[in-house]
Amino acid sequence: MKRILFLIVLFTFSVAGWAMGGETQNISVSNSNSEEELNVKELILDHLADSYEWHLFNTKNSSVTIHLPVILYSKTSGWNIFLSSKLHNDKNNYKGFGIATDSKYKGKIVETTSSGEQVRPLDLSITKNAASLLISSLILILIILGVSQSIKRDPLKPKKGFSGIMEMFILMIVDEIIKPAIGEDYKRYSPYLLTLFFFIFFNNLLGLFPLFPGGANVTGNISVTLVLAIGTFLVINLTGSKKYYKDIFWPDTPVWLKVPFPLMQIIELVGTLTKPFALMIRLFANIMAGHAIVLGLTSLVFVTLSLGSAINASMTVVSVIFTVFIDFVELLVAFIQAYVFTLLSSVFIGLAREKEPEKENKELTLEKLAEPGNHL
Amino acid sequence: MELLSVLLQTTSGLEGLGAAIGVAIAVVAAAIGIGQIGKAAVEGIARQPEAGSDIRTTMIISAALIEGVALFAIVVCGFIL
Amino acid sequence: MSLLTPDPGLVFWMSVSFGIVLLILAKFAFPAIIKAVDKRTGYIEESIKSAREANEELAKVKETKARILAEAHKEQNAILKETARIKEEILQDAHVKASQEAEKMIAEARKQIHAEKDQVLRSIRSEVTIMSVDLTEKILREKLGNDNEQMNMIDRLLDEIEISKS
Repeated sequence: MKRILFLIVLFTFSVAGWAMGGETQNISVSNSNSEEELNVKELILDHLADSYEWHLFNTKNSSVTIHLPVILYSKTSGWNIFLSSKLHNDKNNYKGFGIATDSKYKGKIVETTSSGEQVRPLDLSITKNAASLLISSLILILIILGVSQSIKRDPLKPKKGFSGIMEMFILMIVDEIIKPAIGEDYKRYSPYLLTLFFFIFFNNLLGLFPLFPGGANVTGNISVTLVLAIGTFLVINLTGSKKYYKDIFWPDTPVWLKVPFPLMQIIELVGTLTKPFALMIRLFANIMAGHAIVLGLTSLVFVTLSLGSAINASMTVVSVIFTVFIDFVELLVAFIQAYVFTLLSSVFIGLAREKEPEKENKELTLEKLAEPGNHL
Repeated sequence: MELLSVLLQTTSGLEGLGAAIGVAIAVVAAAIGIGQIGKAAVEGIARQPEAGSDIRTTMIISAALIEGVALFAIVVCGFIL
Repeated sequence: MSLLTPDPGLVFWMSVSFGIVLLILAKFAFPAIIKAVDKRTGYIEESIKSAREANEELAKVKETKARILAEAHKEQNAILKETARIKEEILQDAHVKASQEAEKMIAEARKQIHAEKDQVLRSIRSEVTIMSVDLTEKILREKLGNDNEQMNMIDRLLDEIEISKS
């Protein structure tokens, strides 16, 4: 480890030294480049937000982009389905629809009404994230079905290779998370929780993978995590036990806290909402922050372009090292967030399934105390 | 009150500052909290290695809850912007 | 800011795709996997159990074998001892019998000798008697040549008889 670190440092300095030597000749070049300086904040926010086309890569003088279908329903013109490439004409406008450049709908398609107002139509476009979601869902289904087939074919033989890894993951989730958190009835919930885990984990990993099917900020998008959190919310509240609902609507507190003004009920109801809300925000913020950091570190290379080639070269090395490091951290985070989401979901489900505690013990002790000759 | 509104009108950049300070405080607090959890968990595991997996699960849950609160704060600060 | 507001379109697509994934995986994939893994766990447990049972059985068999061996050994010892005893007895018996036989034979022989001796004695006696009778005859002929002497003789004899009669 020390040796590797030493090598990295050596490499950094040698590149810096080499760049120093070449600086005098390169100054003019770097100056000419600096005019197309890039706005890092814009770039990062652009990536984190959704878009109507999927920008793959740039060639020498053009960029390769997949134009995704736009599906809109507006009150005035009904359903409109077209490719997003149609939006990029000279007027940036197609059938009255255009991508807003400012205002609160920035980056989204808006409809300009006859009165000149900008209205947002019902936008069911297959955006970059939606396309990525559909592709990843398809891949995930194929993978898991394949694994299940290969396990089903010969259930008594322990699996090797990919099926073995997947089986290990499944067993780990079931044995370490679901079983202890939910208890006896865990088999009812394990398909949902396993799906949750693999969906999040797979999309996290796909988000880290920079080439085509990956690279979209899927699980770092609040709409995606919102749906996941709503799923958990529904599971928690639709399968809650009597005690769970009693604790919400008639908790064991002094009566004045709940009768004239339902203070406790409000607190408990807010509590039921904050659980999935926390799940939603956690996943979204972690993955989004990861993407933002990777992008920010990568743009170090281009930001320092204008500061001279010596700094630029050394910063490039620093940037690459840090990006690789952060990417590894993100791999870990991808797993941890999927794990935590599943863990907390199962803990919440387990809490909502709690049964009324047996009253027998209490009565027994009371009876014992009441027995004659049994003085305290 | 008037002073405040005047200040807010004249210096619109202050809201960004407020958000940044809010995020910073939230993050520091969460870091302290999670650090405490980690410390306690490591001590607990060192004392009772056989209870390691239970402690780890509990640690992750508590850390996740604290992290959730911190993220709430960060999101609220984000709404300020 | 716009990052924090959910987009209805994406929510829709997310619901659709997550719903489909959930439907398919929760219905076809995960229960099957869990069932298969459970089956394998059960199978492994069963195998371990049966292996343990077989081991126990084997130990039992070994124990039985040892016991049987020990018993056989004991039996063998006993039999050997018995045989030795029987042999001794037989020998003893034979000895006794032989001596008895010998004694018997000796006794027989003695008896025979006795008998023969008797016979010889008897024959000798008869011979002697005959000889004595002859001699007596001769003597008597000599002695009883005159009547007197004959008369004396008869008287004496008669006396003798009377004496023996009274």
